[in-house]
Amino acid sequence: MPTFNDFLSTLKKDLLEFAKANLNEHKDELLKDGNAFIEKTKADLKRWTDGLVSGALSQKDFEFLVKGKKDLAQMEALKQIGLSKIRINKIVDGVLGIVIGSAVKTFL
Amino acid sequence: MMGPSTNFVIKNQFRKILTDKFKVIPISCAALLLLLYSCSISQFSPEAYKQAVDLKVESLELMSYATESIADFESEAAALKQALKKAYEFAKGRPDNEISAQQWEILIDEERNLLGGFLKRWEDEDTLNEMFITEAQSLVSDAFDTIIGLESGKINPSEIQ
Repeated sequence: MPTFNDFLSTLKKDLLEFAKANLNEHKDELLKDGNAFIEKTKADLKRWTDGLVSGALSQKDFEFLVKGKKDLAQMEALKQIGLSKIRINKIVDGVLGIVIGSAVKTFL
Repeated sequence: MMGPSTNFVIKNQFRKILTDKFKVIPISCAALLLLLYSCSISQFSPEAYKQAVDLKVESLELMSYATESIADFESEAAALKQALKKAYEFAKGRPDNEISAQQWEILIDEERNLLGGFLKRWEDEDTLNEMFITEAQSLVSDAFDTIIGLESGKINPSEIQ
C-alpha cells in the first residue's frame, strides 16, 4: 500500500522535472529579449548622436528620441510583466496537473 | 479496481494531511489563490490583435508624410487619433487587461515621446525632418510590437481545457 511519503516523493520528482524544463526555457527567453533590447538601444544612440553632430537631427529631435526610447522601455517592461503572468498561469496549471497526476500514480 | 476500503484509506490519508500533519496546506492554498488572482490576465482577443496590427500600418504610413505640412493631412491625422483612442478604450474596457491598456496609454499620450507626441509635434511645427521621422517610425513600430507581442502571447480560449 503506497504511503503519503511515497506520494510526496513522486510529487517532488515530477515537480523538479517540470521546473527544470520550464524555468530554463523562460530564463533563456528573458535573457534573449533583454540583450536584444540593450544592443538595439546602443546602436540607436550611436546613430542619433551622429545625426545630432551632423545636423540631421536637432537637439529637440534628439531629446524626443531618447525620451521615446525610455517610453518604449516601459512598454517593453509591461509586455514582459504580462508574459510573465501568462507563464505563471501556465506553470500553476502545470503544477496542479502534476499534483493530481502524482496522486493518481501513487494511490490508484 | 478500488473497493470501499481503499477509498476509505485514501480519504483518511488526505484528511490526515489537512488536519494534523500539514497545517500549512490551508495557508499554501490561500497563497496559491492569491497568486492566481494577482496573475489573472485577459485571454487572447483576435479583435485586439487585428486592431493593433492595422493601426501600426496606418500610423507608420501617415508618419512618413510628416515632411509635408500637417495642413494637408488634418483629416487623416484626426481619423488616426480617433482610431487610436478607440483602441485604448477597447483595451481599457476588457477585464484583466490593465497591462495592455497601460501600453496603449503610453503610446498615444501627447505628453510622451512616441506616437501621440509625434503627432503633437507635427501639429505644432507643421513639418518634421526626414531623419527624425525615420527614427521615430522605428520607435513607434517597436512600441506597437510590444502591444502585439503581449496580445499574441495571451492564452487562446481554445487552449483552455
